[in-house]
Amino acid sequence: MVKLAAVLAVPLALLATVASLGVVVVDVREGGPDGHRILVPAPLVLAQAGLAVAPNILEDEMRIPEEALEHMPLARELLEALIAAPDGELVRVEEPDEQVVIRKEGDTLIVRVHGKKGEEVSVNVPLTLALSALPDSQGRLSSLAMAGSLSSLRFTDLVEVHDGDTHVKIWVW
Amino acid sequence: MKKLILAGAGLVALIVLPAVAAHAETPWIHVRVDEPEKQTRVSVNLPLSVVEVALEAAPEMIESHGKLHLGEDAQVKVQTMRKVWQELAAVGDAELVTVESQEENVRVLRKGDLVQIFVDKKGKEGQADEEVRVEVPVSLVDAILSGEGDEINLKAALAELQNQRGNIVTVREKDTSVRIWIDEQNAQD
Repeated sequence: MVKLAAVLAVPLALLATVASLGVVVVDVREGGPDGHRILVPAPLVLAQAGLAVAPNILEDEMRIPEEALEHMPLARELLEALIAAPDGELVRVEEPDEQVVIRKEGDTLIVRVHGKKGEEVSVNVPLTLALSALPDSQGRLSSLAMAGSLSSLRFTDLVEVHDGDTHVKIWVW
Repeated sequence: MKKLILAGAGLVALIVLPAVAAHAETPWIHVRVDEPEKQTRVSVNLPLSVVEVALEAAPEMIESHGKLHLGEDAQVKVQTMRKVWQELAAVGDAELVTVESQEENVRVLRKGDLVQIFVDKKGKEGQADEEVRVEVPVSLVDAILSGEGDEINLKAALAELQNQRGNIVTVREKDTSVRIWIDEQNAQD
């Protein structure tokens, strides 16, 4: 009994550690209740570790084109101003069979789309993550800053799409 | 004990109220585009602080090399605009421009605190086909053109916008209406 407990304790402790550090869950359901379901849980710490140990790949391979680079200071200043700004509804587009709403709540940009054929799209963009994903003046992406921002995503629903019988949800637990 | 509670409540109020007041007074700039025939409505609401950052960081969005961009093909020298505006200020309330042609009638008036622009485009048989109404506060134009040389005074314009409440620009066309205004609401009705 003690041996069994000892054998189970290690994976359980490992599982608890991973869960406490955060898990990105990708949940895809297709074909209604009797269809397929793909559930992929990925420890957040893996993504952070990947970003932390592979800065050279990001910095060398993922350079931003010169034309886009000149707009980065403006993008950075806008994001910072948006984070500091009060909450509110920023954009609403209403058409007979489509509605798009973008609003800011805290440091999250919330996008809701109600489509023509009943599709529903919900995207939550953490502004701090978007800010950390912007390249510096040399066009380099800071993998460490992104890795740090990922930890602020705990308990966040990032994306949810309902389209007919297909349901996709990505959240961080 | 009661004194302690009251003192605590007072302290909390002192800390919280200025923050609440500062939030409540944040000016928001609103844009609404209505197309009733298409049953389409677009609403954009932005805190003025965000607009300020955009304009200060990229003033070339509205002005470059001393010229205001008023459309794809229309560019007007800031110096020319300023001279005309100074002349007009001396006149006071008046109908400043009247153009009547087969295609359209254009009137520009200065009336009280507003500059009003009326454009009536005519259809094939000379009937009113489209009307554009633009109203801009005089103080805003004053601020924009308060700089020197070929520069527009963006800082003064932004400061003026901070004080403005109500309509900034309204455009009414046959099937589209555009309204830009400032208030302290973070959404539209």
